[in-house]
Amino acid sequence: MPALLEVDDLHMHFFTRDGVVKAVDGVSFTLEAGRTLGVVGESGSGKSVTALSIMRLIPEPPGKVVSGDVRFKGESILTMSDKEQRKLRGNRIAMIFQDPMTSLNPVHRIGKQIAEPLRLHKNFTRKEAWDAAVELLAQVGIPQAAERARDYPHEFSGGMRQRAMIAMALACGPDILIADEPTTALDVTIQAQILELMQEIQARTESAIIMITHDLGVVADMADHVLVMYAGKAVEFGPADEVFYRPVHPYTWGWLESLPRHDVDEKGLLCPIKGQPPSLINLPGGCSFGPRCAFARDSCRETEPHLVDIGNGHLSACHYCGDDEFVAQSPRCAAGGR
Amino acid sequence: MLTYIGRRVLQMVPVFIGVTIILFILRAPGVIPGDPVRMIAGERAIPQATYDQIVKENGLDKPIYVQYYRYMSHLVQGDLGKSYQLKRPVASILLEKFPNTLKLALMAVIIETILGLAAGILSAVKQYSFWDMLVTLSTSILVSIPVFWLGMGLQILFGIKFKQWGLPYLPISGMESANFPSWVHYILPAFTLASVSTAYAARITRSQLLEVMGQDYMRTAAAKGLTSRQVIWKHGLKNALIPVVTFLGLDLGAMVGGTILTETVFNWPGVGLQIFNAISTRDWPVVMGGVIIIVFLVMLINLVVDISYAFLDPRIRYGRVAE
Amino acid sequence: MEDLQAAEQVNSPDGAGGGNGDSQAQEVGGRGRTLRGDAWRRLRRNKLALAGLTWIVIIILIAVTADLWVTRVLGDPIEIDTTRTAELSLQSPSAHHPFGTDKLGRDIASRVVYGARVSLLIGVVAVAIMVIIGLIMGAIAAYYGGIWDSLIMRTADIFFAFPYVLFAIALIAVLGKGIQNVFIAIGLLGWPSIARVFRSSILSVKETEYVDAARAMGASTPRILFRHIMPNAMAPIIVYATMSVGGAILTEAALSFLGMGVVPPAPSWGGMLSEARGYLFTAPWLMLYPGIAILTTVLAFVLLGDGLRDALDVKLKE
Repeated sequence: MPALLEVDDLHMHFFTRDGVVKAVDGVSFTLEAGRTLGVVGESGSGKSVTALSIMRLIPEPPGKVVSGDVRFKGESILTMSDKEQRKLRGNRIAMIFQDPMTSLNPVHRIGKQIAEPLRLHKNFTRKEAWDAAVELLAQVGIPQAAERARDYPHEFSGGMRQRAMIAMALACGPDILIADEPTTALDVTIQAQILELMQEIQARTESAIIMITHDLGVVADMADHVLVMYAGKAVEFGPADEVFYRPVHPYTWGWLESLPRHDVDEKGLLCPIKGQPPSLINLPGGCSFGPRCAFARDSCRETEPHLVDIGNGHLSACHYCGDDEFVAQSPRCAAGGR
Repeated sequence: MLTYIGRRVLQMVPVFIGVTIILFILRAPGVIPGDPVRMIAGERAIPQATYDQIVKENGLDKPIYVQYYRYMSHLVQGDLGKSYQLKRPVASILLEKFPNTLKLALMAVIIETILGLAAGILSAVKQYSFWDMLVTLSTSILVSIPVFWLGMGLQILFGIKFKQWGLPYLPISGMESANFPSWVHYILPAFTLASVSTAYAARITRSQLLEVMGQDYMRTAAAKGLTSRQVIWKHGLKNALIPVVTFLGLDLGAMVGGTILTETVFNWPGVGLQIFNAISTRDWPVVMGGVIIIVFLVMLINLVVDISYAFLDPRIRYGRVAE
Repeated sequence: MEDLQAAEQVNSPDGAGGGNGDSQAQEVGGRGRTLRGDAWRRLRRNKLALAGLTWIVIIILIAVTADLWVTRVLGDPIEIDTTRTAELSLQSPSAHHPFGTDKLGRDIASRVVYGARVSLLIGVVAVAIMVIIGLIMGAIAAYYGGIWDSLIMRTADIFFAFPYVLFAIALIAVLGKGIQNVFIAIGLLGWPSIARVFRSSILSVKETEYVDAARAMGASTPRILFRHIMPNAMAPIIVYATMSVGGAILTEAALSFLGMGVVPPAPSWGGMLSEARGYLFTAPWLMLYPGIAILTTVLAFVLLGDGLRDALDVKLKE
């Protein structure tokens, strides 16, 4: 029985005047129904582009999938016709974007925007769709939904807009909900509410969620599985516990180490990862993380590592991730975990 | 909403007054070359008594602010003075010619709207294609053409050459003639008048639509499963066209102002031609009267456009509420 | 879309001190990058803009060197050979007179060349006038704000209420014909637009964070104005000024056409078109060449202006 969503060694490149930007350069993961996948990584790591590629929302010039596949319920999304693909979008796979202010059309009423996928995919009449939209707004926690549905986006507050976007994404009861940094543009208190809302919805509808974020706290709370991305590549993937407590990739180590901690008494220095992420046009030879890796060896400069399964559904793209001695060097290991 | 309208009207008042002041300064005695008395009386020598009488009648001996007051009160009553040349009230001369100008301008705006919008949308949707290049280049050219030269060129091509070559040809002068139904006379002048504005309209439509196409909400619409055509028509156009509609409205004002060149070339009996003739014969009251009428008309149109903008953009109509 | 932006960022200069006109070479992606260098490179890629620039240079050269060769090669633009007028008048284009002759027997090509002088002169001077006035007014309005701002902007609104050509005609009617008055009229009509653009540039830059950062570093007011605000604010002005030269040439042509600009017998493109009106049937070449001259020259400025706008717009990268 195939997984709900399978991303198989996806490579998505942008062909620009200045060179080929390898925005996604080898990403693989699976997603099961009802589960949450947290996709983490710094800006520029390819998280959003991966999500947009799944939805086929990347404009064909200049972007192009050069290899790999994305399969939904066993069927390849990338080789589907446009028409079939559109039947999935907003219907079986829905997306929530980062900035709700710019992502909502300023000249359409909120209710109309939420009703739109219903009219498009389920052939609701205008009245049916409107009523359903009001109902959805109520479900996402907007008070006086019937009146608020008649408002325009600029009349909503930031948190309310994001709720409206969630309502819009949920309208057709999708199997997968992709959330691209849904809380980044919001206040901390609102963030918590939105995340709570999403968990509630997941419990109710059994949809799978892909949560893209650079905030570890968000992932720790919600994710069943974690995918760590760097420079367009998947560097580590596995069940959340595995990745947090037994990470095997030096980048994950560095990233976890660099987070400020509240539970340590001494006033220590922050330890960021030295160096800068590489240019996606001029990737270094061998391992992309090699130049910044404190544990790099000669082979890291020569050959590019691929995702290797090290058991328990845990994958990593490092030459030495299977080597226990190597892994023991992890700072986390030394500290005995959390 | 009502406060918005109220504010706009209020803002217009000082501008209104400023305009009248400038126009008054321009026609005040001493500013316009030539003795105003001479202009009224003609070039012949006149006895001192007549000179004094003219001065008194026209209040030319009063201080300047009194003259301004006189001028304004005449203006408000619709009295624009008398034409030196034709010895008739300026207001009635211009009122006669006015409808002709208006008809021509309206025709031109219709042409401009249809062609300009179509070209702009086409070139934005098919960006970088052959059509886009074509539209961009031809709008650049149109914007650089002197309107009157274009008019003359059209006259030569469609009026003279076509006739020489035995093809059906178009009238090139005036509003009526024996050989053609009257509407045909509108064709060449209207296209000429519309030409430059069409180019601007196309450019604005194109750039607005392109800007809208890059917006996040267009991506959201695509993520809902709409086809790219649906995304543009349902989500993009309304946003893009708001500023374009505003431009079209403002352009009507500019066009009314720009008819002087087109009417001159095509001998179209409108306000513009009247002003041009008045310049040649130094008939200043007509010149100034014509300018005043046109300016006020333009200001009125601008006000209407401003107000209608509020209706079109819900962000202005409903203001900010929750935050 | 942050990944796309990141990808783009890799290839543009470090955005932060963008207002600083100094060169800041950044070795990223293997090529040196400066703000001016970037703009120049982008401009060079724009074929149309380059064509415009080339044509402008050609016309300038022709106009400037005119005295040296035109009378010998083509004939005098103003002098009338009264003995041969009848014979010379209204000849169609030939080897001897490439653009033909007008009704007084003067060579049209030579008149077109001298007309270029007039047009270019007017373009440059009028635009210089309006830019200077506009910059001063805009700066005062933006920097001092308050009553100065209201006063200047209201005055600008008044000017905006007048349709352009009409106002020009009214001004000339008052000031009289002649080339100096054309400069003044066009300059006077144009300053409000420049002032408005400049003022809003200054205001928006004034609010941005990097001016605050400069202040936090202790930079004094004039320093802020010159090194941080000006370079950013200048870009739209440069573009507008370039396009305005084209506009000024068109306006002069319109005024001369209506008999309100350059006084004959001095050659001017607009004036030549006015003379051509009576001969549309008999001598169409009279209107053709001056018109083409106007068209190509103005087009060159428009294309150049377009190119400058694209090249100087830092945001275009995104």
